[in-house]
Amino acid sequence: MRMFLFRELLGAIRTKSAILFVLSGFLMFLFLASVASFLMITPADVTSTTEGQPIEELQVFLSPTLSSATVNAWYLAWRERSDIASLSFQFVEESDQTATRSIFVVTPTDPNQASILAEELRAIDGVTDVIEVPHVKLIEAPTVSLIVRITLLVVLVLSIAASLFFFRRGYRELLAVFAGEIRMLRLSGIHERILVVLVVALGVLIGCLSGLMILAVLYLLHRVALSTGALQLFGGLAHGMRILGSGLMAVGLGTVLGGLAGVLGASLLHRREFDALP
Amino acid sequence: MSMIQVSELHFSTEDGVKVLEDVHLRVDQGELIVIVGPAASGKSLLLGLLGAQIPPQQGQILVHGRNVARLGPDKILALRRRIGVYPQGFVPLPRTVHDNVSFKLRALGNYREQAEEKVLYALEAAGLIRQQGMDALELSSIDRIRLGMALAICHDPLLLLIDEPFEGLTETEKAEIARLVSRLNTGHLSILLATRGPVPPGLEMSRRVRLLDGMVKGA
Repeated sequence: MRMFLFRELLGAIRTKSAILFVLSGFLMFLFLASVASFLMITPADVTSTTEGQPIEELQVFLSPTLSSATVNAWYLAWRERSDIASLSFQFVEESDQTATRSIFVVTPTDPNQASILAEELRAIDGVTDVIEVPHVKLIEAPTVSLIVRITLLVVLVLSIAASLFFFRRGYRELLAVFAGEIRMLRLSGIHERILVVLVVALGVLIGCLSGLMILAVLYLLHRVALSTGALQLFGGLAHGMRILGSGLMAVGLGTVLGGLAGVLGASLLHRREFDALP
Repeated sequence: MSMIQVSELHFSTEDGVKVLEDVHLRVDQGELIVIVGPAASGKSLLLGLLGAQIPPQQGQILVHGRNVARLGPDKILALRRRIGVYPQGFVPLPRTVHDNVSFKLRALGNYREQAEEKVLYALEAAGLIRQQGMDALELSSIDRIRLGMALAICHDPLLLLIDEPFEGLTETEKAEIARLVSRLNTGHLSILLATRGPVPPGLEMSRRVRLLDGMVKGA
């Protein structure tokens, strides 16, 4: 019986109410798309690189056979050099627990000339090795700007408000066409609950369809993103499970919001024009 | 057996205007009672109360032995399904004559075949079988009333409430509707017909009661 009545209710949809319902569904789709976008944004991620970076310091490894007097003399001499900005002496144990040597940590005055200085120091008898340590550059992964986030938030609020507004208008049009049937149903002793369920079910159907469209669009974007590698801003598109989770969430949220819109529509049933007796 | 037993029934509007005052009425099974009264005398309200469409304020209404005031919402709905109503100024649905009746029966839970059988029976009884494929909004005034009657009896009710069925009809048509109502009054079906009057010839009523200033005379 309910399916019969639901089909009859759908059959009462005319051009105007159809346009209003499609518009409400599209606005709900926009709302769900905004929510899903927030879930797809790549979180700010900091990585580091040394590639192409200038030499920041030289680690000069000293032979363990060197006397402390020699090391001291080198320290005093190198400190005076114009191509060395700073110099410190360390036992390797300070950085490497297994080693038993000592090193000079040299900061070159001109990072571009560091390799020449390193070659020169390598050539000194008593220096076992020189390691050139480049500058470490921190890279912040690109993420969605504040303006985009605010825009998404505005779209989110406006779309749901507009969707509910057009839902109500659509219901008003539909119920005006179905008014005779409602009066007849009430006169015949049909439970009020059945009428409410019919109206709410229509909202649920539209909301659920909007959610399913989000799921389909997310899957499509997932395929496109994987093939083109365009994932910088919305990294979540790369993860299949995240796509599925967000899509199902959109279906659930769409269903709930559609139900809410349906309840809004069902509130129109209390109007006098639908009373069984005039 | 008493189909309707009304006693000490009072009803006032929200403004406190008394519409029905100390109404007593008894309708037995199979009876055809005509309630005659001027406009705004409370006829439609009385039918609404008897049809369990309007909750009573004061007094007792027993329909088929059940006190309407004490029935829960589900029982009220079950009672409504045992009552056929022809409302005043009946407007059919914008579909064919057949589909008007079919819609009501399907909505009441009848399967297609079951509904089909009842549709044909109701249209036959109302004299509309040849017009079943017509758009109900294109029917003549008298045929619209016939369709209203078919809708009221299609689910085999125990009680039929008819509100002002002669409105906008010629004298001949009024007599035709009167004969139709008389034909419907067979077997167990009790009928209450409210009209401003005069009662057209051909209406084989059991009794006539007058509703004047909210009070029933001659019940």
